Amino acid sequence: MDEFLTAVALVISLNAVICLYRAAVGPTTQDRLLGVNIVGTKTLVVVILVTFILAENYFLDVAIVYALLLFVVTVAVSRYLEAEGWKEAES
Amino acid sequence: MNWLSAVLGERILGTAKAFRRRGLLFVIMILFWIILTASLALHEMLLGAICSAAVAALTVSLLGRALDPHITPAVLLRLPLFMLRLIWEIVKANLDVARIILNPGLPIDPRIVEYRTYLPGDLPRTVFSDSITLTPGTVTVELRGDLLNVHCLCPYHEEGLAGLERLVAWLFGVRRDGEVRKGG
Amino acid sequence: MTAKEIVAGIFCCIGTFFFILGTTGLLRMPDIFSRLHPSTKCDTLGACSVIVGMAVYSGWSWDLLKLIFIACFLLLSSATCGHAIGRSALRRDIPYWRRQDEGAKSGDGA
Repeated sequence: MDEFLTAVALVISLNAVICLYRAAVGPTTQDRLLGVNIVGTKTLVVVILVTFILAENYFLDVAIVYALLLFVVTVAVSRYLEAEGWKEAES
Repeated sequence: MNWLSAVLGERILGTAKAFRRRGLLFVIMILFWIILTASLALHEMLLGAICSAAVAALTVSLLGRALDPHITPAVLLRLPLFMLRLIWEIVKANLDVARIILNPGLPIDPRIVEYRTYLPGDLPRTVFSDSITLTPGTVTVELRGDLLNVHCLCPYHEEGLAGLERLVAWLFGVRRDGEVRKGG
Repeated sequence: MTAKEIVAGIFCCIGTFFFILGTTGLLRMPDIFSRLHPSTKCDTLGACSVIVGMAVYSGWSWDLLKLIFIACFLLLSSATCGHAIGRSALRRDIPYWRRQDEGAKSGDGA
């Protein structure tokens, strides 16, 4: 079962690397943010898988904090971009 | 009527409402504490209760707005059924999006439509827009007052919105004509 | 191989499939609003089904509670993240992609 979970984690990590393409060349800043968000979701799942591969319970706390942090980062950065846009539109 | 008593006894009920908000916030905080510590030992629970009470007392003005008027026991009772139905809708949505993505021709015709909802209050509208985002081919991109801007992937996706709105209205016990509580 | 492991493996395979689908959609879609669709839907379902598989695998323990919490939070947060990104794109007046070739395809008019 451990080998299977490792294979799943590897495939998901490969997906995350491919998603970095969108974060690197995305035409708009929002595309980059979306790419980063998706990479974060995939990393979260890999952390959960690593919890059960290594049989270490405390990684789940890392996963919880990672999920909370990912949400806060995405919302804060998108609010920031929005505010910047308003400033540009007014001036 | 509900709103009349709310208007008349606002100052008397104000403290009770704030107390209820603090209690609700305290319950949520301590549930989160139990999930994080993963134990039910006495000293852990005592420390958690102290911390939760302090956090709930300090942040009630920050977080309390999101909680208050629409969370009732009936709604909490209907929530699991709603979640089951929503998960079924999400699975259908994913199969639909999968069919679109894997099609070599990419048969999409996106457009942004405006949708005016009759749901009152912040919480039902938030639940409605989140449900829209998770169900077939539609993403809420703006929510201002009772007007939603919804980005639809294909024109036929727009038809699913009314049924979803009925589902959320059923969850919160809102009828289409009456009982639109203003000033909440 | 117990039955528990087989069920967990099936859920993990479903989740991986949806993750690959989300990546494909992210690369193929023409504009930011369309890219929100695969990212919010396929990624959420992929993550949730892997988490459900791991919950089945872990059995009755405190890990189960934490996994359920993460799944519920992901359902809420990814929809909200998609909405926030979409709103910031809308307010920056990023134009959204419309299908131009009405004559080439046999699509409906209006």
